[in-house]
Amino acid sequence: MRYGLLLRRNLFRRRLRSLLTLGGLACAVALFATVESLNDGLEKALGGDQARRTLVVYRKNRYCPQTSHLPEYYAREISRLDGVSSVLPVKLFLNNCRTSLDMITFQGTPVETMLKQRRIELVSGDLARFEREPDAALVGRGFAARRGITVGENFRFSNVNVKVVGIFRAAESTEEEIILTHLEYLQRAGPVNRLGTVTQFDVLVDDPDRAGAVATAIDELFADSEEPTDTRPKIAFLESATRDLREILRFGRIFGLSCALVALALMGGTVVMGVQERYREFGAFRTIGYKARHIAGLVLGEAFLLAVLGAATGLGLATLLVAFGGIAVGVEGVQVAFSLTPMLFGKGLAMALICAGLAAAVPAWRAARIDVVQALRTI
Amino acid sequence: MTAGDEAAAVISLRGLCKSYEEGGRRRTILEEVDLDVAPGELVALLGRSGSGKSTLLNLVGGMDRPDRGSIVAAGRDLVRLDEAALATYRRERVGFVFQFFNLIPTLTVLENVRLKAELVGLPVAEQNERARALLAEVGLEDREGAWPDRLSGGEQQRVAIAAALVHDPEIVLADEPTGNLDLDTGRRVMELLDRLCRARGKCLLLATHSAEVMGVADRVLGIEHGRLVPREAEP
Repeated sequence: MRYGLLLRRNLFRRRLRSLLTLGGLACAVALFATVESLNDGLEKALGGDQARRTLVVYRKNRYCPQTSHLPEYYAREISRLDGVSSVLPVKLFLNNCRTSLDMITFQGTPVETMLKQRRIELVSGDLARFEREPDAALVGRGFAARRGITVGENFRFSNVNVKVVGIFRAAESTEEEIILTHLEYLQRAGPVNRLGTVTQFDVLVDDPDRAGAVATAIDELFADSEEPTDTRPKIAFLESATRDLREILRFGRIFGLSCALVALALMGGTVVMGVQERYREFGAFRTIGYKARHIAGLVLGEAFLLAVLGAATGLGLATLLVAFGGIAVGVEGVQVAFSLTPMLFGKGLAMALICAGLAAAVPAWRAARIDVVQALRTI
Repeated sequence: MTAGDEAAAVISLRGLCKSYEEGGRRRTILEEVDLDVAPGELVALLGRSGSGKSTLLNLVGGMDRPDRGSIVAAGRDLVRLDEAALATYRRERVGFVFQFFNLIPTLTVLENVRLKAELVGLPVAEQNERARALLAEVGLEDREGAWPDRLSGGEQQRVAIAAALVHDPEIVLADEPTGNLDLDTGRRVMELLDRLCRARGKCLLLATHSAEVMGVADRVLGIEHGRLVPREAEP
């Protein structure tokens, strides 16, 4: 039946209309995929198995990570508690505490402990140099990719000026968005010398089921001290930190759904117009022996072809945006990278195909049921 | 026609009636029409616009259904066929030539001619061979790659004639084939249609309101008040 040829030729015949529909559909799919990629990134951030074994200790009643100042020696006392496997003091330096699309997060840690506790792997650079040089830094590959940072260059923000000596990948997606430095370097680098204080402790527990009990024990230990603590499982901390983000995302998903509806309306308009102006042509097809289902197939086929092309273009745009747009959403030092997974590509394509199917179903049914005689009389 | 001729007829209509609802009233178009058309015969239907010529052709072409009566064409009782079977009948047994050509605008001249050969499942080489031979016969062998909208009316109608014959149908139905052409072009198209159908022994049922093209017909029938009336063909 030469469906492929007829479908291609008809889309090409009305090339401006086809291009406009394809462009609109591509934009809708790109927006849908971008919103969903943030959702997937958030799921990934909250789904790391290391996060279930880790507690985060902050200063009680802190407003923002940078307002948390805990004595560094707390690490020794925490490590003595039953059930604690290791303690990592962390000094944080952020460019922005609120929700931001371009967050810069420095984490200063004792190098040896950090390498033991965090599951990072160098993809390029020199680890020995990082251990040796006090102003050296390792950059997470997500952040490096967004900022175009390579090994050997200097990265400067405010008073912090580090030499990038390595790029790393990490088991936890949020850690691929940070810059790791020496603890002492970062303590001294800020506007105020904070030597001897840290922002938080990352506490690794032996048994994830006992994480709650260990958290209570830590807070009780420092309840009467000058700097009381607030200890929560890292998952709970991430969930709390990203609460606003999830609210925004909820709105974003409504926006994504609206995109699907716009795509549906756009596709519907194109298909209906196409069928109306081809009434006589369908009559000619029926006359020469095309059956009703063949006519329906032509209408549906064109809609699906447009959907596939639109989805491919939209997903390509989303990939370019995520890969080269240099965006990640950060809040309170936690950065969530946009994550385009094969599943998301499938969802984008499915959305476009569903829109095409819904938009073309009624016009296809009507085209299949045309009165041949009336159709041939149409001018 | 004798009883034997009737049995051999490619088209046989008996007691055919057709009416339409129009402004809340029933308008009778065809009433008790009987007709037999033999293989290779060219029958012209003459009548004013709205007299029922096209309706008769649509019924024989399986595009419309009668209120009453029987239509046996190419050995098929069309009244008993369902929509899918009628589509197969149109595809395999009938060639159509229309006033407005009805070529597929997204297919080239060659593809338009080849389409029916393809639909009936001929091998690709044979499709091309037949289509090119017919295009040569209608004098358009050098236009096979052209789009229909780049052709003149006469050329489009010649393409439509080639397309109607490519799958070797038993019946050719031509509804006002010269109605959209100037007199001279119309006459040449009519001669071409007549020559090609006769050369292949096709039964041609032609509807026209123009007496100018009647000279080629074996039999001329008028439609008056829904009934077929014999008319004299021009010498």
